[in-house]
Amino acid sequence: MSHYRSVFTDETKLDLNYVPHRLPHRDTELQLLMKFFSFLLQFPEKMAQRVIITGDVGSGKTVLSQRFGTDISREAGKRGINLHYVHVNCREYRGSLFLILHHVVSTFHPSFPKRGYSAEELLSILLQILDEEKAHVILTLDEFESLIEREGSDAVYKLTRLQETRQNKPQRLSLVCILRNLKAIEQLDTSTRSTLQSNVIRLERYSKQQLADILNDRISLAFKPLAVLEDTVSLIAELASSEGGNARFGIDLLWRAGKYADADGLDSVTPDCVRKAISSVVPAMRKSELTNLGFHEKLLLLGIARCFKESRKAYISLSEAEQFYAVICEEFNEKTHSHTQLWKHLQNLSSLGVVKTEVSKVGSRGRSTLICLPKISAEDLEKELSAIIEKERA
Amino acid sequence: MGVEDVFSSRLRMKILKILAQVGELNVSEIARRLGVNYNMTSRHLKVLEDEGVIKHKVFGRIRLYRFNENSPKAKAVQNLIEVWEHANE
Repeated sequence: MSHYRSVFTDETKLDLNYVPHRLPHRDTELQLLMKFFSFLLQFPEKMAQRVIITGDVGSGKTVLSQRFGTDISREAGKRGINLHYVHVNCREYRGSLFLILHHVVSTFHPSFPKRGYSAEELLSILLQILDEEKAHVILTLDEFESLIEREGSDAVYKLTRLQETRQNKPQRLSLVCILRNLKAIEQLDTSTRSTLQSNVIRLERYSKQQLADILNDRISLAFKPLAVLEDTVSLIAELASSEGGNARFGIDLLWRAGKYADADGLDSVTPDCVRKAISSVVPAMRKSELTNLGFHEKLLLLGIARCFKESRKAYISLSEAEQFYAVICEEFNEKTHSHTQLWKHLQNLSSLGVVKTEVSKVGSRGRSTLICLPKISAEDLEKELSAIIEKERA
Repeated sequence: MGVEDVFSSRLRMKILKILAQVGELNVSEIARRLGVNYNMTSRHLKVLEDEGVIKHKVFGRIRLYRFNENSPKAKAVQNLIEVWEHANE
């Protein structure tokens, strides 16, 4: 009887829609968001709030607001406040105010008809519902740019100045607008802009170390103990960092690497699983890039590939690669190049993006160059290079 | 209206079944599901509402119909439909 083995305990924790209980390195921002909306828990009818969250792709904007939404809804529930957190991705609704508002109304009346009225009517219907149910909504408009692009100032103005048309009535609708770049706001007219820009939470890019913390947090939830090697985490963090500090990219890559480990029947997720995974998400190295390399650059790269194939490490040193290179030179009856020449070859490989290099950190004696193979699995690279070298020598 | 009069209409029974399944619906959508016109649907809805089995809420030009949760008749009808549908499964 065959047993299905897996490195995962619960891979759903790596789903892009999963909202973890803890958000590493976003505690301050979460606290700030809660502070902006704390009035809702004390005097829910007296005020409405508008907050902008901005930051690059994968900087945690969506997950931050969803965590906040869950937390504040739970807190409101405890206090008997009828608060609904509604998260809408504007792009999914083609930036249409009508479709976005319909989605909000649907949370109260799931079969609400989709035709026969305008966005303005829908907005007043929404307020009627909220008044009747004594409810409050925090509406999060994710990918807010899409709404601005499609509807312009009018739609945003209607949403932000809603209360002015209903003086002395309870405040019902607060907004959280999520966008990558505040420049999109500049397209709005001055009065609309002024109502939006008072509370801005800017999320900085995650550093490599912060990405590693996030990955380790998810690993503890999704993988068996010790199933992900430290070097693997470091490699993924490095790659996610080079993608602009994109945590989402890193988590997705971690999941894919786990899948490759399972497919190969491994007990742990190795750096090579990551290389295989990344070649499935980003276009792998083009063959022409390899063909155009100098002969000894190819031999060195082959040495690097073999060294990675034999080790389970994310990084190797130039001297380790050099040993494999020397064996390959012997194999092909070639005189080895000097260390300095090899260092130059390595710089060239690095500038072409075939490998990544960095200088080893303080702690080890002297300074040595560390090599990382980010985009292609060592096995695939070895096969590809061997074929090219054989062809060249034939 | 006697119970035999209310339930003698196939369309009224269908309306009740639809509302039991969906929970709440506007007139046009009920008409579309019944395959009859708006006016005829409205007429049958009025009969059911006059009997207190269903009720409606107005949102601008939209009227949404649902079972009247305060009516014992509505509860009895919902039970009947549920039992009937389960027995047929």
